[in-house]
Amino acid sequence: MVTTGAAVVDRFGLQLTLALFLSVIVVTLFTALLTAPQRDEISEFYLGDRAMTPLRNGLAMCGDYVSAATLLGSTGLVALTGYDGLLYLCGTAVAWMMVLLLIAEPLRNTGRFTLGDTLALRLPRMQRPVRLALAVCTLTVTTLYLVAQLVGSVALLTQFTGEPSAATRTLCVVVMGTIVIVYAAIGGMPGATFIQIVKAVMLVSGVTVTAVMVLQHFDWNLGALLTAAADNSGSGTRFLEPGLRYGASTNSKLDFLSLQLAIVLGLAALPHVMMRLLAPKSGRVLRSSVVWAMGLVSLVCLAAGILGLGATAIVGRDTIVQTDRKGDAAVLLLAHALGGGVLTALLSCLAFVTLLAVAAGLTLAAASSLAHDVYGEVIRKGKAKQTEEVAVARLSAVVIGVLGMLLALISWGANTATLAFLAFAIAASAILPTLVYTLFWRRFTARGALLSLCGGLLCSVLLVVFSPVVSSTPESLYPSADFAWFPLQNPGIVSIPAGFLLGWLGSVLGRNETPEIYEDFEVRALVGVD
Amino acid sequence: MSHDPAYLSLRRDHRRFSVRATTVAVGGFLLYVLLSGFVPDLMNLTLSGHLTLGLALGLGQFVLMALIVWRYLVHMRTRVAPVTRGLRGLARHHEKAAARGRAATVPSVAPRAGEYRPW
Repeated sequence: MVTTGAAVVDRFGLQLTLALFLSVIVVTLFTALLTAPQRDEISEFYLGDRAMTPLRNGLAMCGDYVSAATLLGSTGLVALTGYDGLLYLCGTAVAWMMVLLLIAEPLRNTGRFTLGDTLALRLPRMQRPVRLALAVCTLTVTTLYLVAQLVGSVALLTQFTGEPSAATRTLCVVVMGTIVIVYAAIGGMPGATFIQIVKAVMLVSGVTVTAVMVLQHFDWNLGALLTAAADNSGSGTRFLEPGLRYGASTNSKLDFLSLQLAIVLGLAALPHVMMRLLAPKSGRVLRSSVVWAMGLVSLVCLAAGILGLGATAIVGRDTIVQTDRKGDAAVLLLAHALGGGVLTALLSCLAFVTLLAVAAGLTLAAASSLAHDVYGEVIRKGKAKQTEEVAVARLSAVVIGVLGMLLALISWGANTATLAFLAFAIAASAILPTLVYTLFWRRFTARGALLSLCGGLLCSVLLVVFSPVVSSTPESLYPSADFAWFPLQNPGIVSIPAGFLLGWLGSVLGRNETPEIYEDFEVRALVGVD
Repeated sequence: MSHDPAYLSLRRDHRRFSVRATTVAVGGFLLYVLLSGFVPDLMNLTLSGHLTLGLALGLGQFVLMALIVWRYLVHMRTRVAPVTRGLRGLARHHEKAAARGRAATVPSVAPRAGEYRPW
C-alpha cells in the first residue's frame, strides 16, 4: 500500500484492462447464473458437477490454490530479493505434494460435503462440539484470506491510478465484494468452478507466454538472464545467494523457516482447497486431477520465478521499488517493457480475475461450513430440509461477503502478505493436526480434536498479537506501543508443534473412542466405497 | 474386512509408502531451506557461470517432486488398485449375502432411488 503513487499503465492500457475485465466478468456471471443449481439440492450446491474430467478438475484446483499473492507478491519478492524469493515459490509447489500424498484420497473417500463430515464420521460421539470448533477455525482462516484478497484489489488499483481516494477505494472493494457474493451465493459450486477454470486457463497461459518472452529476450540463455538480473539488482551476485531478505540475523532466519513451515503445511489445509478435493466422483478421477494440478502449479511457480528474475533483469530494481515498495508491480512493469500496453492489460486483467476467483472459492467454503456444520448439524441437529440448508448457505455467503468487505474497508492499509501468512499459520496449526490425526491415528479422540483446533487457533493468533507485526517496529499496526515479547513475525514454528502436541495430549488424557469406529473409518479411507 | 490379511498388508504397504514419500518431499525441502539459511557458503559454490549449488538444488526440488509423483502413480496402480478392487468386490458380495439373509426373514420394501444417492 505504501506506494509513491506512480501509475504503471497509460490511459489506453487502463481502458483495455477495464474492457477485458468487464467482458470476463459478464461472461462468468452469466455462466454462473446458467449453471447455478436449479433444484436446491445440497450436493449440487456444495460439490457442483461431479462428472468433470480430471483436466478440468485439475484446472479448478490450480485456480483455487494459486492466489494473486503468488502471482504478484512472490514474483515481486523474487525481483527484489532473488534467491530468497525463489525459495518461497518452491515452497508453494512443495505444499501441493502434501495434498497429493497424504490428504486427497482418504479425505475424498471419507468426506461428504465439508471437512466436518469426515470428522463426524470418525468422532461420532462428540460430533457437534467438534464441528463447531472446526467451523470457527474455518471461518477465521477464510475471513482473513478473503480480507487479504479484497485489500489486494485496492493495492492493485493503486498501481493503475496512483493512491486512490477514499471513495474510489470503497467503490473498488464494494464492486469486487458484490461480484464475489453473486458467484458464491447464486452460482454455488458450479459457478465457482467455472470462474476457477477460466482463471486457471488465463493464469497458466498468461505466465507461460510471458516467461517464454523473457527467455526469448535473452535468447534462451539462462546464464545471461541470471547475469543481467544480478547486474540490475543493485546488490550484484548477492542477489543470487541466500540471505538478502532473511539473512540478517538468526531471528530472521528462524522467521523464514517458520514462514516456510506454515506455507508447506498450511496451504494444504486451506478450507477452500479441501472442499474442491471432495468434488470428483471416483478416487481414480481425483488422483489424475490432483496430478494435473501438481503439474500446473509447478509450471506456474517455475514461470513466476522466471518472471521475477526477468523483471529485475529488464526493468531494473530501482524502477520496481519506485512504483511499489513491496515489489507487487514487478510483473506489470515487466509486461509493459516486453509487450507494451496490450500485455500489461492482459496481465492486469488476469490479476483481478485471480483475486475474484480465490475470493469466490473462500466465500463458498465459509458459507458451506456455516450452513452445513453450524446450521444443519449443530443448530438443526441434522433435521434441516435440503432447500432450507441451501437457503442458509446462500444467506451465509452474503453475510461472509459483506463481513469481508467491511473488514477490508477498515483495514485497507494492512499488509496483504501478513494477513495471508496468518491464515496459513492458523490452517497449519489448527486444521492440519486435526485432519492428520483423524485420518491416520487410531487413538485420536474428540477431546484431542477440540484441544488441537482451539489451541492451535488461539496459539497462532496470540503469538501474532505479541509479535513485531502488531507493535514495537515502525511498520507495525501500533508503532508507538511495545508489547512484542515474541520475536518472530510468523508464529508457525511454535504454533504448529503446539497444535500437534495439544491433539496428542487431549487424546492420551481423555477416554478412548470405540476402536471399531476407527477400523471401519480406515477401511473406508483406504478402500473407498464408490 | 479390517482383519482380512490382504487388507492388512495393503494398509502396511501404503502407510510405509506415504510416510516415506512425504518425508522425502517435505523434509527435503525444509532441509534445503535450513541449508540456505545456515550454511550459505556451501550453497554459494559455483557450478558454472552464475549457477550456484543453491539454485541447482532449487531446480532439483522440482525434479524430485516429479520423481515422487511418478513413484506414487506406479505405487497406486500396481500395489493399491488391484487389492482395493478385490476388497470392494468382496464387500459387495458380503452385502448381497446379508441382503438375501434379511430378505428371507423380513418382507422387502422396494428401495426408493433417493435413498441411495452416492455421497
